[in-house]
Amino acid sequence: MSRFAIAALAALGLASVAMAQGMPKPTTLVDRPSATGGEKLYVEHCAMCHGPNGMGTGLLGRRVQPALLEQRSGLAAQYVIMAARRGIGNMPPITRGEVSDADLKQIADYLAAGPHPSPSGAAK
Amino acid sequence: MADIPLPRGFTAAKMSQAQKAFEAALGADKVFFTDLDRTAYEDKFAIDDARHHPAGAIAPTSVEEVQAAVKIANQFRLPLWPISRGKNLGYGTSAPELAGSVVLDLSRMKRIEFDEANGVVTLEPGVGFYDLYDYLQQHKLPFWLSTPGNSWGSVIGNALDRGVGYTPYGENTKNFCGMEVVLPTGEVVRTGMGAFSNAPTWGLYPFGFGPAWDQMFVQSNFGIVTKANMWLMPEPESLMGMDVEYDKPEDIKAMIDTIGPLRRERVLQQSPSIGNWLRAAAVLTRRTDWTDKPGALGDDVIDAIRKKFAIGWWGVSLRLYGREGVNKAAYTILENAMNAIKPLSIKPTSWVKGQPMEYSGWTGTPMTFPMQNINWYGGRGGHIGFSPLLPQDGTAALAQFKRTYARYKEYGMDYQGSFAFGERHLINVNAMIFNKDDPKMMSRIDPFFRQLVADAKAQGYGEYRTHLDYMDLVATTYDWNGGALRKLNEKVKNALDPNGILAPGKSGIWPTNYAGERKA
Repeated sequence: MSRFAIAALAALGLASVAMAQGMPKPTTLVDRPSATGGEKLYVEHCAMCHGPNGMGTGLLGRRVQPALLEQRSGLAAQYVIMAARRGIGNMPPITRGEVSDADLKQIADYLAAGPHPSPSGAAK
Repeated sequence: MADIPLPRGFTAAKMSQAQKAFEAALGADKVFFTDLDRTAYEDKFAIDDARHHPAGAIAPTSVEEVQAAVKIANQFRLPLWPISRGKNLGYGTSAPELAGSVVLDLSRMKRIEFDEANGVVTLEPGVGFYDLYDYLQQHKLPFWLSTPGNSWGSVIGNALDRGVGYTPYGENTKNFCGMEVVLPTGEVVRTGMGAFSNAPTWGLYPFGFGPAWDQMFVQSNFGIVTKANMWLMPEPESLMGMDVEYDKPEDIKAMIDTIGPLRRERVLQQSPSIGNWLRAAAVLTRRTDWTDKPGALGDDVIDAIRKKFAIGWWGVSLRLYGREGVNKAAYTILENAMNAIKPLSIKPTSWVKGQPMEYSGWTGTPMTFPMQNINWYGGRGGHIGFSPLLPQDGTAALAQFKRTYARYKEYGMDYQGSFAFGERHLINVNAMIFNKDDPKMMSRIDPFFRQLVADAKAQGYGEYRTHLDYMDLVATTYDWNGGALRKLNEKVKNALDPNGILAPGKSGIWPTNYAGERKA
């Protein structure tokens, strides 16, 4: 069983694991002190699902690698916008109330400029 | 352009006028009425995709803008459906009960204020668990959250729907201490000590003077909560506990009869949740990894799942929070009690401040990965939950489990059940995971759900929270004295909201002008 799987089981309250083996820390803005623009907006609005322990990363990892969106290349900005607004697969649509068109464009442009293997200010 | 869903008595022209009024009051960048907007605010996990379609949405960013929106809604007699962040997946997401309502999206209201001395945070509805988690770290505040399995949503929105977490502060709605509310007629009130100008105790004493109203605005349609105080748990010195597995379905009786007294005595102060084998398998794997047979999973597959993950039929995690010396003493009590009912395994865990932290619900870490379970059947996944309230009685819980498990087999669905402790009650959460791309499966969900409601009703068990489709049905099960509570709710509703503009149908509460919309 993978370390993630063991840790996930522990987090679900279904199996034991030493705490040192736990899930990765969720990525939030405190982990990216230098992030600006699209990267900052991505961390704020997307990382909960597309960060290291997110649902989106887990499900994408079943069919595509790398599963972390920031590490992907070839993501067209218009595709990102369409996927976010319409939803895709198990991902619900992201409404304009939650993320404005202007902010979504910055996020899409940031992902389209990927891969970002070492995002700015990220804890190494 | 598709037809705009409209509430009864509305025309497209009148809706267009209302849209223009919202744009004039809030600005066009906070008003969303395109076809794509309407689709985006629908229920992602809908059982029936034809229901609960909004006419549009608006996103005010201040209490004054909320008041302005309410004023327009009253002018046009237009129903509004408030959401905090709209992530209530499994209960309706951001969609309104009444089709044609305008979603009042509060996700842009994200102010956080923190009283560190008292551990009280004042939140607007758009603040999500990840936002607050980040805020605590940015400001190096030694407090932990109480996070649900889907932490994408709003902190106060979750508490307003009586969501739960796993720490001693896990019954989130109990952590409210004073609210700011816009009433359906536009006035702003503050509850508790917030009614007393400049009181330094708004977030400290929940009751104020005279009636205490916080719970009146929970799961209701009596007002729009624009701000609320919540108590957070101080970071403990120590976290200890154990993960315990039991072998047989019948072991649920002894588990509940052992844990219940410890919970009521407060040796155990958090809210453990006993769950079955599918909780792990559905998150970490897909059904096709195990079998291609239709119908509920057979014992051979269940055995294979248990073997792979080294888990029991049921598992439970117990955790102790606070001073290390106290936890050590309590741990011995828990260990003796759980060993006495012959577990498959007990695995201890221990942490003290300064050590590497476990990033899980036990430490109030926000998470979204448990929602991976919606991929269990493949396709466009979703789930709803049937969650009746039971006493902490092992015999009753075992009987309820047997009835429910038999129904899962009858309807050909894989069983994901849990029994979550409150202080005196159990919430028996039965998740129905489904694949929206499987029409045959989807056709079984509604009759299955209704059967479970009827089965539970016969035992005196009512749901604590439900999906939009079943709010009226569940409200009818609260039927004592001719449904006196619903009559009271609707008397209050009509008094506070004479035009019936706020969330008609929420929790089965309908204002008189929409009473004809009630379903069963």
